[in-house]
Amino acid sequence: MLLLGMAIILILPSEGYKVIGAILSVILLLEGIRSLGFYFSMARNMVGGKIFLFRGIIALDLGMFATSLHEIPAIYVLIYLLVGHLFSGVVDVLRAMEARRMGSRWRLNIAYGAANILLAVTCSFCFRDPTLLTYVYAAGLFYSACLRFAQAFRRTAIVYIPLESDFSTPAH
Amino acid sequence: MQEDFHYYATYCAAFLAGYSHEESLAICYSAQFTDLCSASLLAKLRAPLSAATTQLSMEMADARTDMIGLQNITRIWASFHFLPRDLHAEKKGVSRRYLRKYRLICGPNGELVCDTVELAKGGSLQAVGLAMHVLADTWAHANFAGTPSLVINNTNYHFYELLPDGSERAVKFRNNPSSPDDLAQGLFTRSLYQLNENSVMNLGHGRAGHLPDYSFMRYKYLPAWGGYREILKENPSDYLHAFCQMVEAMKYLRGSRDSFATGKYDWEAIGGLEDRIREILCRRQLNACADWKALGEELSGRTIEAFSVEKYQKEYLEAGEKEKDATFLGRFFLAALAQKSMVTNKIYKSGSLLAGYSVDFEKKGFHGMRDFRKLVEQARNRRR
Repeated sequence: MLLLGMAIILILPSEGYKVIGAILSVILLLEGIRSLGFYFSMARNMVGGKIFLFRGIIALDLGMFATSLHEIPAIYVLIYLLVGHLFSGVVDVLRAMEARRMGSRWRLNIAYGAANILLAVTCSFCFRDPTLLTYVYAAGLFYSACLRFAQAFRRTAIVYIPLESDFSTPAH
Repeated sequence: MQEDFHYYATYCAAFLAGYSHEESLAICYSAQFTDLCSASLLAKLRAPLSAATTQLSMEMADARTDMIGLQNITRIWASFHFLPRDLHAEKKGVSRRYLRKYRLICGPNGELVCDTVELAKGGSLQAVGLAMHVLADTWAHANFAGTPSLVINNTNYHFYELLPDGSERAVKFRNNPSSPDDLAQGLFTRSLYQLNENSVMNLGHGRAGHLPDYSFMRYKYLPAWGGYREILKENPSDYLHAFCQMVEAMKYLRGSRDSFATGKYDWEAIGGLEDRIREILCRRQLNACADWKALGEELSGRTIEAFSVEKYQKEYLEAGEKEKDATFLGRFFLAALAQKSMVTNKIYKSGSLLAGYSVDFEKKGFHGMRDFRKLVEQARNRRR
């Protein structure tokens, strides 16, 4: 993700939105494959699970169609970015309000929310500037990559002490 | 289950098991607090965030659904609200991925219920209350899993309420969380239909609304996992079993029983009260707090104060670092960490990483999340 974001910015800043469009097309294609895989491994055993079969076929078809296009209009990429950031922003703000009502920490969430909403507003003003759009998308990739790096180094295991433990193993 | 059962009914059960009024209050407070101890509240109290026993609606909306996020969600909901019935259940013709989720389906009288009660044995009253919350929820939340899963937790249009006159009515669901359920019209709120397997909308009984939480409710539906077999859920009977099992478990925890085993209920303890309890359980109302409160006050002859989430916060905030674990909330947090650690270990040992990695202290010493270091200190103190 980090490398992809850097490549988009450094190599193709003005034409980057075409790359973004291609990435989104491939994501659609992969989603189709994933849905079909999900149907055969999981949803086959679920009441009403056939919907995943149909969804997989449609997404695969749309993905193949989208990847075959030479150019996806910037407006679709823009709408994708705008909706994504706006949704995240609203959720962050609501979470901050919930935390504030409880007297808990809320400032960081409101800051995230404001940043996301600001990005969405910025996106809505860059209809004519695909370069800005490229930078916003690449910034999103950077942010996600950083979060994943941070997650990878987080301690997640949980210690278990059997009831009958005699503490023969020294704690580190 | 809601405040009516976790707070007031648990008070009644504790009192019938032989606990004093004050002890019963501490137990039922802890049972109810399990539904309120969120990461946001813990952040406010500057307490270990790993002791969270629930998630607020916006915490869930904001929760990441990558592997780490899902493990956190599963640890909380499977440990405290949807205790798995059988972690080694088998089902033919399914993938391993499906089986891991299938094994997390909650239900009463599983091995983990015994483990939960054993864990609370010799512990604080807070641990007893927390264990009673977990035990009671195994009855109310049966047939749903404490992990986000569409293939397990989804419900469809085949959902009927069985009315007291013997007739049945199709349940109408809506998705507006701010609208209260309408019992007269049979109109209930449930979570949105999300095709993403791991969406938090597919956690627990969200897709069945609050029907499992009402003691009077009798309903039948097609669970997503059931191979098109209809399930009939009789809450009045299940809640009565939960009540009698709580009395049985608390008698063991208090020391007036030698052992605790699943499938045993203390019917004798409620002997003369059975009709009264059945009446409360069957009354069609959104909240039975007043009825249970009246019963509890008749039993003990004392006033049961209303639940207040603020009650013990000042004590915890003002305690010194070394004294915090001895406060009311400090003891609750220790009990929560222990329960989460135990259930995570059992799920991990069953071959599933849905609740994350578990490190056996006896074999590898201390590794992992620092919050759990408190458990080591607590266990050492117990041995001393």
